[in-house]
Amino acid sequence: MTQILLYTDTISEGYVILITGLLIVFGALVTLALFFNYGLPLMLYVYKIITKGKDKKISEIKVKGDSGFTGEISAVIGAAVHMYLSEQHDNESGILTIKQVKKAYSPWSSKIYGIQNRL
Amino acid sequence: MKKLIIIFSTIALLVFIRPVLGLGANINTATNSSVSTTQVDTTEEESIINEAVDGIKSFYSYTGFANSSSGNVIMIIIGIVFIYLGIKYNYEPLLLIPIGAGVILGNIPFVAGNQTGIYETGSVLNYLYFGVVKGIYPPLIFLGIGAMTDFSSLIANPKLMLLGGAAQIGVFATFMGALYLGFALPEAGAIGIIGGADGPTAIFLSSKLANGVNLLPDGTTVKNLIGPIAIAAYSYMALVPVIQPPLMRLLISKKDRKIKMKPPRAVTQKEKMIFPVVAMILTLFISPSALPLLGMLFFGNLLKESGRTERLADTARTKLIDIVTILLGVTVGASTQADIFITKDSMLIFGLGAISFVIATMGGLLFARFMNLFLKGDNKINPLIGAAGVSAVPDSARVVHHEGLKSDPTNFLLMHAMAPNVSGVIGSAIAAGIILSFLS
Repeated sequence: MTQILLYTDTISEGYVILITGLLIVFGALVTLALFFNYGLPLMLYVYKIITKGKDKKISEIKVKGDSGFTGEISAVIGAAVHMYLSEQHDNESGILTIKQVKKAYSPWSSKIYGIQNRL
Repeated sequence: MKKLIIIFSTIALLVFIRPVLGLGANINTATNSSVSTTQVDTTEEESIINEAVDGIKSFYSYTGFANSSSGNVIMIIIGIVFIYLGIKYNYEPLLLIPIGAGVILGNIPFVAGNQTGIYETGSVLNYLYFGVVKGIYPPLIFLGIGAMTDFSSLIANPKLMLLGGAAQIGVFATFMGALYLGFALPEAGAIGIIGGADGPTAIFLSSKLANGVNLLPDGTTVKNLIGPIAIAAYSYMALVPVIQPPLMRLLISKKDRKIKMKPPRAVTQKEKMIFPVVAMILTLFISPSALPLLGMLFFGNLLKESGRTERLADTARTKLIDIVTILLGVTVGASTQADIFITKDSMLIFGLGAISFVIATMGGLLFARFMNLFLKGDNKINPLIGAAGVSAVPDSARVVHHEGLKSDPTNFLLMHAMAPNVSGVIGSAIAAGIILSFLS
């Protein structure tokens, strides 16, 4: 009995699926849209606040470690950077544009048979 | 046109050659048998000839010419038309050419029982078809799509997501249409998803609902509709550039078509990384049945956006998706074996598919106009992009772009149209999940 009832009720069940389905699809997309409209900026803002606390400001970095940093050292570093940036002319590209001309081995053209004097 | 004529004439020749060959074989056997009764000496020679003729006859009985039916010929012509459309008009050639080749492959007539056909267990094609029947290929395709898709336009303008939802009206309207035409509930659900304009989703859902294995409440098995549904979905996806523009011109006024949308804001990498994770969790909590599809989609997107797994993302969006597309296209094409494919149901499905595309497009366009009622000034959207809400990535977005350019050559809608386009993918996958959870 129930099977027959189910069968005759197909259309109305279809309408139930139609309406709930559309509502759920819209619901899901609206939730997503709302989240990315409001939730995400909030999350990013909170993240910013949380991580900002850990970032050290320049004024907080102690100068103690820099005591050995003299003008000479900075000159050496500057010279090294300059050399690195401007004297790169012999750093050539490793890519060769000439293709190697080498044929695959073939017994038809092999010299070894001629040398051994047999065919 | 010339090519078409040549193709048709060769096919006609092949068909006509069949009775000629058959007649010739009969005459030979008749003469041979009469000779063998009169002379004893020549019987050995004659029997050799006899055997040869018999061999040729049995060989002929295995050839396609002996076994072909009109259905096979029709389907082979359809396959050729698919290939022609793909090459000549560039309508989704990556899909139509494998499917067209598959259609030809699946309709070569053969003698059943030699593990040749796609529906015979043990045949090679049957093993490849396994990925379609069990819904393995679609999630892999979604992985690749996820690794290809840039969701930034959607993140920048989340309200466009609703357009992707509006176009799903096509899915449910077709579902009702199929019910009224007398399809059973699971079959109607699988047919409805053609309106989602998403090939992988359609194959996935039909492999779960209309696979010819499941039982209906009244004790009968559902029909196997994977072939017709997949072919309908892919062929209408390929025809998006033909179906959509007239509807756009019909429903959207000239003035509205010229609306320029403000450029989407720049989206930070952090937002792009958060999107797949959050969207995966949210959508799957709402519709867990869509897990294989949406899970893989957002997983692929995470691979792309994480910035650390470029290698994996690269494989997913190039090699992997190519391999799966090849297998999927050929096997879906080959599953259209004439004796199973040419039925009244297939014709109905094709009709419903066309209607579903029209309804989905109209749903998207009208909802975009409806949204415009609430938006003011700069925020107004160009209603044309509503049409991109039927997934069919990225073809429908491209069509929107072209239509936009036609009414105003300085109006570039492509990036805006991508937002409803990708949300259409999400929406149709969610819809598939809902239908699956209701009907399986």
